[in-house]
Amino acid sequence: MDHEQAAELFSDFVDGSIAPRDKAALEQHLSACIQCRTNLESFRRAVGSLGKLKHGAPPGFLPEIQQQIYKRSRGRFFSRRWKLFGRIPFEWVSLATIIAMLIYYIAMLHGTPGGVKPAP
Amino acid sequence: MSVAERLLIGRLKDRDEDAFGEIVRLYGDKVFNLVYRMLGSRAEADDIAQEVFITVFKTIDTFRGEAKFSTWLLRIAANQSKNRLKYLARRATDPEGLEGGGALDVAAAPHSMPLSGQVDGPDVLAEAAELDSLLQRGIAELDEEQRLLVILRDVEEMSYDEIGEVTGLPEGTIKSRLHRARMALKEWLDRHTR
Repeated sequence: MDHEQAAELFSDFVDGSIAPRDKAALEQHLSACIQCRTNLESFRRAVGSLGKLKHGAPPGFLPEIQQQIYKRSRGRFFSRRWKLFGRIPFEWVSLATIIAMLIYYIAMLHGTPGGVKPAP
Repeated sequence: MSVAERLLIGRLKDRDEDAFGEIVRLYGDKVFNLVYRMLGSRAEADDIAQEVFITVFKTIDTFRGEAKFSTWLLRIAANQSKNRLKYLARRATDPEGLEGGGALDVAAAPHSMPLSGQVDGPDVLAEAAELDSLLQRGIAELDEEQRLLVILRDVEEMSYDEIGEVTGLPEGTIKSRLHRARMALKEWLDRHTR
């Protein structure tokens, strides 16, 4: 095995997916080749460092997206006003209206002074 | 796909706004990181990552559940990042392509927001920021396909199967291209850390 053939196996070696025969050949080469050992070490360091590259979404990421969708949908989505009224079920609105009308009717009946006077 | 995820997708298909919020909270960091590493600019990443989720909201009905939702989402992120890179390359007026909106702002990396909640000393933070900047510049030297593979495999730590679902490439192709990308990155780091 030469240096080039050894380097071709670095990825599989680092990933742990190298075939047993290749692994044995590579390890044999590495035991005798300081240049490839150094190269493998810096290869491993480069690959390992990439795992630390984590960067979260900025604050306000979600509200900005919601605002964009609100604008592009012309207020169809992510509108607070829409959300407020859109979420009240119509059944409840109807029931509340009936109750309000009943209360008004009863109040009108009892609110008339002396009630309904019989005709003379 | 788990039952909870299936229910969440179902709610999203009904345009449930809370479900959308949950999706962004679950995958926002992953998508942002992928896009940021592809583009190398936080301002660009912010715009494109937002576009990714807007696309998800618009096109969720086309998601059939054959692939994992996360890979479907990352495919959108990868495609939009590539399109943006092409656009920036066309628009670039300087040979490095580092002027204007597509500026590679890795120099600002010390002010970045790491996902880890751990608080380190100033020396450790400075060293980490320097390494972050160096690696980001190294990634920017790769072509877009190599960049994507390195990010998916070594930054996002995805399996080859998942990478195949995102890129549509067979495993052998992924492995050989990834190896070339890693070698190029190693060479680049060797040159810049001596």
